[in-house]
Amino acid sequence: MAAKSIDLTAPPDTIDAVHELLVEVWDGAAHIQPGDRYRFELALVELATNVFKHAAPDQLLRCSIVVEAGDDRLAGTIYDSGPPVDIDLSGRAMPDALEESGRGIPLIHLLVDTLSYDRVDDRNRWRIERSARRAA
Amino acid sequence: MNITVSEASADVAIMTLSGRLNATSADQIGAAVRSATDTGRPRIVLDLAAVVFMDSSGLGAVVRALKTARGAGGDLRVARPSPQARLVFELTNMDRVLDFFDDPLTAFEGG
Repeated sequence: MAAKSIDLTAPPDTIDAVHELLVEVWDGAAHIQPGDRYRFELALVELATNVFKHAAPDQLLRCSIVVEAGDDRLAGTIYDSGPPVDIDLSGRAMPDALEESGRGIPLIHLLVDTLSYDRVDDRNRWRIERSARRAA
Repeated sequence: MNITVSEASADVAIMTLSGRLNATSADQIGAAVRSATDTGRPRIVLDLAAVVFMDSSGLGAVVRALKTARGAGGDLRVARPSPQARLVFELTNMDRVLDFFDDPLTAFEGG
């Protein structure tokens, strides 16, 4: 399985760095259907946005993002330096139509097979996995 | 992301978005919509044909823009959502709330 990674510090790095990492990943993953690639990218960006959002406002957030592209599977792991996060990742209900936020986690559930969070070596670890079909 | 704004009629502003609509770029929409409503154009068309990526932060900005437009006595309509934008509208059920139009120039014709 091919893996690519990136180390970020936010600020000044933004979510755009995640897109740039995925441009590199997709260069080596042309065997995976574009629709599967896009859904994975959307899930990873949602997850990273969530991680950035939970960072302490007055502290730099350091994080490492690792993306693995296998024959029939995509996986993304985000490690971040923030404090432990008390978050409920199980929510799948979309908020009311006129709510401006709260759709990220429910959306991730619709895009991946697994979503998990745990604490490893004083870092937060967030992980998503999605099975992927081969391009025709 | 880039936004270009043009006038369809005296009180309608067409905003053509291109690129990625994510947490980094979402605030640009709010600024553009406020500028339009402040200058007497509270009816907003968002042309999303050239949006290559849209996430829930981008969707949140669209909802905020809708509320801003309605608060100013207008409304917001979405034209030509790209497949990437349409996916997010559909997965979040927002396609049941927002009207999609094929032609940004006529999105507000007939009311």
